[in-house]
Amino acid sequence: MRILRRDLLKGAAATAATALAGEARAREKVEPEPGAVGMLFDSTRCVGCRACQTACKVANKLPPDPVTAAGGVYDAPVDLNSRTKTIIKMAGPDAGHAFVKQQCMHCVDPSCVSACMMKALHKEGHGARRLEGEQAGTGVVVYDRGTCTGCRYCQIACPFNVPKFEWFEAFPVVVKCELCRHRVVPGATGPAAFANPACCEVCPRQAVIFGWRRDLVDEARRRLAAEPGRYNGHVYGLTEGGGTQVLYLAGAGVSFEALGLPRLPERSAAQFSESVSHAPYLYGATPVLLYAALALVIRRNKARQDAAGQGEGEAR
Amino acid sequence: MSAHELPRPIGGRLLASPMPLLTAVFGLSAAVIVYRLFAGIGAVSNMTDGFTWGIWEPVNVVVFTGIGTGALAVALLTYLFNRGEYHGLVRPTVLLGAICYSLGGASIMVALGRYWNALLLPVIPYWNLGSALLEVAVCVLAYIMVLWVEVLPAVLDGAAASASPVWSSIGRRWGRRLAWAMPYVIALAIVLPLMHQSSLGGLMLLAESKVHPLWHTALLPLLFLVSCLSMGYGAVVVLVTVLQLEWSARADLALFDRISRVNAVVLLGYVVLRLGDLAGSGKLRLLGLDGFSLLFYLELALFVAPGVLLLRPATRASLGRTFGAALLAVAGGALYRVDTYLSVYRPAPGWSYFPSLGELAVTIGMAALGVAIFIVVCRLFPVVTVRDEARPGGPP
Repeated sequence: MRILRRDLLKGAAATAATALAGEARAREKVEPEPGAVGMLFDSTRCVGCRACQTACKVANKLPPDPVTAAGGVYDAPVDLNSRTKTIIKMAGPDAGHAFVKQQCMHCVDPSCVSACMMKALHKEGHGARRLEGEQAGTGVVVYDRGTCTGCRYCQIACPFNVPKFEWFEAFPVVVKCELCRHRVVPGATGPAAFANPACCEVCPRQAVIFGWRRDLVDEARRRLAAEPGRYNGHVYGLTEGGGTQVLYLAGAGVSFEALGLPRLPERSAAQFSESVSHAPYLYGATPVLLYAALALVIRRNKARQDAAGQGEGEAR
Repeated sequence: MSAHELPRPIGGRLLASPMPLLTAVFGLSAAVIVYRLFAGIGAVSNMTDGFTWGIWEPVNVVVFTGIGTGALAVALLTYLFNRGEYHGLVRPTVLLGAICYSLGGASIMVALGRYWNALLLPVIPYWNLGSALLEVAVCVLAYIMVLWVEVLPAVLDGAAASASPVWSSIGRRWGRRLAWAMPYVIALAIVLPLMHQSSLGGLMLLAESKVHPLWHTALLPLLFLVSCLSMGYGAVVVLVTVLQLEWSARADLALFDRISRVNAVVLLGYVVLRLGDLAGSGKLRLLGLDGFSLLFYLELALFVAPGVLLLRPATRASLGRTFGAALLAVAGGALYRVDTYLSVYRPAPGWSYFPSLGELAVTIGMAALGVAIFIVVCRLFPVVTVRDEARPGGPP
C-alpha cells in the first residue's frame, strides 16, 4: 500500500500542470453583462455615405487604405482589414441593395475570447492584465497586444471574420473595433462614460446609434412595433451565436443572410466548444488518474521486462 | 536477449548523401524564414485574413505531429500492453516523435505573428483555460521536452560506450538514474499526446460556421485521437521498413503482424465512428457527388482500404504489402487532418487560397531538416537495431 500511495502522490504532482490545462469549468450560457454597451444598426436608415468609415479612421489613427480602380486612387477599402475597423458594404439585389455596416459585433460570449491563449482578446476588465482605462462590465471585446502571440486562432474562430492581421509587418498586431473605448467623454454619465464610438457620433441619419445594450434592444423592438411594414420583424443579435452587443435591423423582405450576416445557432460556439472539450477531463481528474494508473502499470511491466532481459539496454 | 541485438550507432560519414541535398533544401527554407522576420508573413505566404493558417498549421503541426505519434503507438504496445519484443522499435520511433514534434513547434514559431510573446506561455495566471489552442501549446511544449528525455537513454548509452573514461562514467551513472525514472516519463509521454491530439480536433469545434458540416462534429476530438493512432502505427511500419532498406535494420514481419492487426482495428474503428456519427446526426443526406462529398469518399477510402488490407493474413505475410497498407494509413490520417483544417474550411464567400512557394519551401525544408537530424543522431548514437549478418564486421 505504501508503494501505491507513493506512486499516486508522484503522479499527482507531476501532472499538476497538465491537469490545470484540462481543468473543466462549468460552461453555461453567458448572459450580457449588466453594463453591456453596444450599437444598433438600422439598415433601412443607412444611405451609404461612409462618414462612419472616415470618422473611424480618424478616431483610431488608422493609415489610409488606397485602392486603385479605373485609373484613379481611392481611400475605399473593399473589406475590413488591418487598416479598416468598420466598413459600409452594399448588399446584393435580393436585399434591395441595402447598405450594411460591418465591425466587431462584441459578442456576448465571443468565440475569439474563448480561442485566445493568453486573454489578449478579452471582455473589458477580464483580461490577463489590466490595460489603461479598462472598466469591467461593459462587455466590450478589447485587445492586449502584450499577451498576443499572433497565432490568429481568433480569425479562425470569429463567425463574422472580424479580427484582422497585419500581414506585411515585422511586428504585427491584430486589429479590430474596440468600440472607441479610448474616446470616453470625461465626466459623462451613462454609456458615454464607458465608450463613445466615433461612427455613431457622425452618422447623419442615426442609422447606427450607441447605448446600453438593454436600451438598444428596447429601441429596436419599439421600431419594429411602430413600423411593422418597414422591417423584416427580427432583431439580429438578440440570440444569434449566443447574442451580440451590436444589433441589426433589416428592411421588409430582406434576410439578414442577404445582408452578409451569418445564420448562427442560439447557443454560442464557445459554449459548444468548451462543453465538448472539457467534458472528458472531469474537472482535471482524468489526466491525473490516468497518469497515476499508467505509471503504476508501466513500472510493473518495465521491471518484468528488464528481469526477462528485454530491457531498453541501459549501459551494462 | 543477447547483447548483440542491442541498438548500435550506424556510423559512417555524417555528410554522406543525401545530406547535401537535405541541407540545401533546408537552407532555402531558412532563407524564407529570415525574410519573413523582416518583411512579415504576408510577404512569403499566400495567407490572408480568410485563410489565416495556410498550410503551416495543417501540415507542419497537425500532420507532422500525427506522424510523430508513432512514439505513442509503440509506447502503448511495449509498456502498457507489456510487449517487450517491441523494445527495438522504441528508440527509432521516439526519435521520430521528438523530431516531428520539435519541427511542428519550430514551424509554429515561424507562423506566429508575435512569436516573442510565446515566451509568456509558462505564465500560468495568463492562461485562458477555455482555449483549446492553449491546451495544445502547453501540452506540445511539455511533450517535446518529454520526448527528448526519452531519446536520452540512447545518447547516454553512446556516452557509456565511449573511450573517454569521463564520458563513460557520466553515461553509466545517468543512464542508471534515467532508467529508474523512465516509467514516470513514459506515463507522461502517453497522457500528453492523448490530451493534445484530441485537442487538435477540438480546435476546430469553434469554427462551426466555417468547417463543412460533414467534418464539423462534436466527435472531432475523438476522431483526431483515433486518427493519430492509425497514423502512428502506420508511421512505425513505414519508418522501420525504410530503416531496413537503408541500413539493414531489423524489420521483423512477426513484429509488424501485431501492429498491423491493431492498426486494422483502429482504422476500421475510425470508419465506424465517422459513419455512425454522420448517420446519428442525419448528415448522410449531405453526401452526393459534389467536391466535398468526393473528398469525403477519398478520405474514407484511405481508412477503409488499409484497414481491410491489414486484416488479411496475405497482406501481413508480405513486407511490401504491409508497408503499402501502412503508407495508406498515414496518408488517410494526413488527408483527414488537412481537410478539416484547410480543404473544407470556408471562412466566407469570396476567399480562396493556394500555398505560395515560400510556404511550400518552409514546409518541405522543415521535413528535410527532420530527415537530416534523424540520420545524424542514428549515425552517432545507438538508436537502430541492425541485423547481425548485415553489421560491418559480420556476426561475432
